[in-house]
Amino acid sequence: MMSDTQWPRFQVFVQEQLDAPHQDAGSVHAPDSEMALLNARDVFARRPKCVSMWVVPTEAIYSKTAEEILNQPPIGTEQSASSVLEPAPSEKYHVFCKFKHAGTQIQVGSAEASGPAQALEKAFEKYSSHHKPLVWWVFPARMVTQSDPSEIGSLYEPAQDKMFRMHTQFHTLTAMRDIEQSKGRK
Amino acid sequence: MKTALREYLLALADDELILGHRASEWCGHAPILEEDIAFANLALDEIGHASLWYSVLAEIEEQDPAVYPDRLAYFREPQDFRNIQMVELPKGDWAFTIMRQYLFDAYEQVRLEALSQSGYEILAQVAMKIRQEEFYHYRHSSAWVRRLGAGTQESQRRMQIALDELWAYTGQLFQPIAGESELIQAGYVIASENLKDKWQDKVYPTLIESSLVIPATPQLHMNRQTHTHHLEVLLSEMQSVARLEAEANW
Repeated sequence: MMSDTQWPRFQVFVQEQLDAPHQDAGSVHAPDSEMALLNARDVFARRPKCVSMWVVPTEAIYSKTAEEILNQPPIGTEQSASSVLEPAPSEKYHVFCKFKHAGTQIQVGSAEASGPAQALEKAFEKYSSHHKPLVWWVFPARMVTQSDPSEIGSLYEPAQDKMFRMHTQFHTLTAMRDIEQSKGRK
Repeated sequence: MKTALREYLLALADDELILGHRASEWCGHAPILEEDIAFANLALDEIGHASLWYSVLAEIEEQDPAVYPDRLAYFREPQDFRNIQMVELPKGDWAFTIMRQYLFDAYEQVRLEALSQSGYEILAQVAMKIRQEEFYHYRHSSAWVRRLGAGTQESQRRMQIALDELWAYTGQLFQPIAGESELIQAGYVIASENLKDKWQDKVYPTLIESSLVIPATPQLHMNRQTHTHHLEVLLSEMQSVARLEAEANW
């Protein structure tokens, strides 16, 4: 059987300023989490503001839409069989929600749970009242690889004084045309 | 003093410019999309650093800092460049590219650390600024060296070949730059040869940890006036557009 030669996918979360929540920026492929963090810096923080970055293996993210939750409440679903046999120790899960169809997943808080289904259940109790999220993501905090705050200066700050220029700011096309024309005259 | 500063700044800038150009040759060709983006960024960083050093020179020589960097990059002949030979070698395979980048990034860490304590204010300032970004370059290239060196048999083999090919050229990193002694006396720089121990302290453990063997080949000692024919080829391409019309506003 042909195996998938792609590297694993990591979800990338960016924090734009210290008191802001982390937000989903997109994903990168990388052989491991350290490389994922480095790749993510180049793909997602070359220009935009960034003070902290997380990468999480995409497969570690447990995701449910509001619709799925309505149709099939998370209480004691997928996880139940295994957790009965072998109760996992309780740990911290990060909770992210998407509130608009065109929006991104935004960090809303965390929950202590012994499995992703339970984490989602607790998150739902805690956070569903105020904003009516459309999509829920939960993942164990231990799956996060995050940028080292002492490295902000080398990873993200240099981007701040780099100018972003649209292609229209370069005169290449007109310059080339002028050169052609002056050659034609000669 | 001005001549010594010119030689020193051109050495710093030309290394960055030529290596940056070599890195840019991977644009659209790097092994994966993420790395393509990362390496193109890195190429731009290096060329930006070259531009910073050329601007310092513009100030010293009372030239227009908006124009002078381009004059230096695009309108000098190969014999006027002061880069080391290592950076002008063709890009080779990915292993060669990563190994060269790593060996050079480690050297820059050491050189810039020393320069950021320069008694010449502007040198210290620019070195500190560039160093910030170079921390990331070093992390990036050393992460690749460790993974390719200790990766598969094939990646290890290629990395060793790259290291063997590049080793002799690393000697030039620590050769005195023309006029350097004058700058040392003024407290502006430290002797290039004094950077070597620190570089080895960085590079040896990483290479060994990456299952690579430090080559026994002697390191070559050439001054920065001598170049391989590769530089001429590189410049004829790099400078071709600017030279189409020297006064054009791109």
